[in-house]
Amino acid sequence: MKTAYRTILIVLISVGFILFSAAAVHAYTAAEPVSSINPEGNDLLQVVPPAPEKDTCIQCHLDGSYSNIWTPLIRWVVFGGAGVLFLFGVARSISVWNTRTEWIPIPTRILKWLDDRYQISDFLKPILSKPVPDWQRRWWYCLGGLTVFLFLVQGITGIMLAFYYKPTPAEAYASIQFIENEVLLGSAVRMIHHWSANGMIVMACADMLRVFIMGAYKPPRELNWVSGVVLLIMTLAFGFTGYLLPWDQRAYWATTVGTEIAGAIPVIGDLALIFLRGGWNITSLTLSRFFALHILILPLITVTTMAMHFIMVRKQGVMKPL
Amino acid sequence: MSETKPEKSVPFYPDHVTLEAKVALGMGILVVIAGIIGLFMPVGLGAPADPMDTPAHIKPEWYFLSLYQLLQYIPQTVGATAPVVAVLIVLIWPFLDQKPDTTKKPFRIRSWFSLITVLIIIALTIWGKVS
Repeated sequence: MKTAYRTILIVLISVGFILFSAAAVHAYTAAEPVSSINPEGNDLLQVVPPAPEKDTCIQCHLDGSYSNIWTPLIRWVVFGGAGVLFLFGVARSISVWNTRTEWIPIPTRILKWLDDRYQISDFLKPILSKPVPDWQRRWWYCLGGLTVFLFLVQGITGIMLAFYYKPTPAEAYASIQFIENEVLLGSAVRMIHHWSANGMIVMACADMLRVFIMGAYKPPRELNWVSGVVLLIMTLAFGFTGYLLPWDQRAYWATTVGTEIAGAIPVIGDLALIFLRGGWNITSLTLSRFFALHILILPLITVTTMAMHFIMVRKQGVMKPL
Repeated sequence: MSETKPEKSVPFYPDHVTLEAKVALGMGILVVIAGIIGLFMPVGLGAPADPMDTPAHIKPEWYFLSLYQLLQYIPQTVGATAPVVAVLIVLIWPFLDQKPDTTKKPFRIRSWFSLITVLIIIALTIWGKVS
C-alpha cells in the first residue's frame, strides 16, 4: 500500500515537472521569437548566417530579453537542473519519511542496480583491492602512465584538428592557417598537439631507459620489452608522418630527406621509398598516405599493442629491483 | 625474493589511484599551460611547400636530429642500415641477455651504458642544432 502510494506520488510529480518545464520553455520561446536571419525574406542568396552578436548576460536568456542559438540549451539546463534537484529532494524526503531507513545515495543505487545484473564488482574487486607495495610508489614508475596520458591528449586534440584539416596539397596549408586564426581555441589545440607529441617521445624514451637500467626486460618479461619497443617505434612514426601534414617548406623537405634515408637502405631501399612516398616523388599521394597512417593505421596498431602491453604488465606485476 | 616478511603496501583503491590522479593532474596542468601559450604564440607555419625551391638548411625534428647529424659524416648506405640493425638488436635484446641479476654489477654497467648513450645522442642533437 505504502509503495503504491509513493509510486503514484512520484509519477504525478514527475509528470507535473515535465509539463511545467516544457510549458515554461515554450512560453519563453513563443513570447519572443528569435529574430530571423533574414528579416526581409527576399534575399535567398544569403545562406551563411551573420556572426552572432556578443552575448550580453546569462540571465537575459532566462527572462527572454535576449536570445541566440544557445538560448534553448541554457533554458533547458537551468530549468531542467532546478527540476532534477527538486525531484531528488522530493524522492529523498518521501523515502526517508516512508521507510525510516538510511538514505542510499542515487549513484550507489545505480551501481547496485547494475551490479545485480552484470556482476561488475566481481570483475573490479580483484583489480581495485590489489595492494601496491611502497617501493612501487616512486616517480620513475609513472613514466609509462604519463605516456598513456599524453597519448589520450593526442587522441582528443588530434580528433579536434581532424575536423578542420584537409589532406590535399592545395588545401592543407590553408586549413592549418584557418585552424590557427579562425577556429575557436584552434591555436591552443594545435600547440597542445605539438607539445604533447614531443612530451610523449620524451616519456616513452625515459620509460624504456628505466626498464633497461633496472633490467626489467629479463625473463619472464621479454614480450613486455618487445611490445614497448614497438610502441616507441610507433610514437616516432607518429612524429614522422605528422610532420608532413602542415605542408610547408620545412615539412616537405624534412620528409624528402627522411624518405631518402629510408631509400638508402640496401636491397629494400627502393621498395621502402616507394611505399613511403606512393611513387618516386612526394605528391598528393604521399600526403594522403601519411594522413591515413597518422590518423588510422598507427592509432589502431598503437592501441592494440598498448592493450597487450598493459595486460602483460598487469599479469606479471612490476619487477622488484634488487 | 622477500616472500618471508610482508612488505609495506597501500591499497590500490583509493590510495594509489589518488596518487596517480595527482600525477595526471600535474601533467594536465602542463598541457593546459601549453594551450594557453598557444593562444598567444601559435606554433606557426613556414612558407608553403614548393618542390622547385630547395631551402639552404634542411633539418628534421629534434628526435631525428642526432641520426641526421651522424649520417652527414658516415657513408649513406652504412648510415641507413645502422639504425635498422640497432632497432632490431634493441627489439630482440631480452633474448640476448637472459641471465637474471644476482648482484648490483650488471645494474651499474647498464646505468653507465645508458648514461653514455644518452649523452652521445644529446651531444649529436646539439651539434646538429647549432651546425
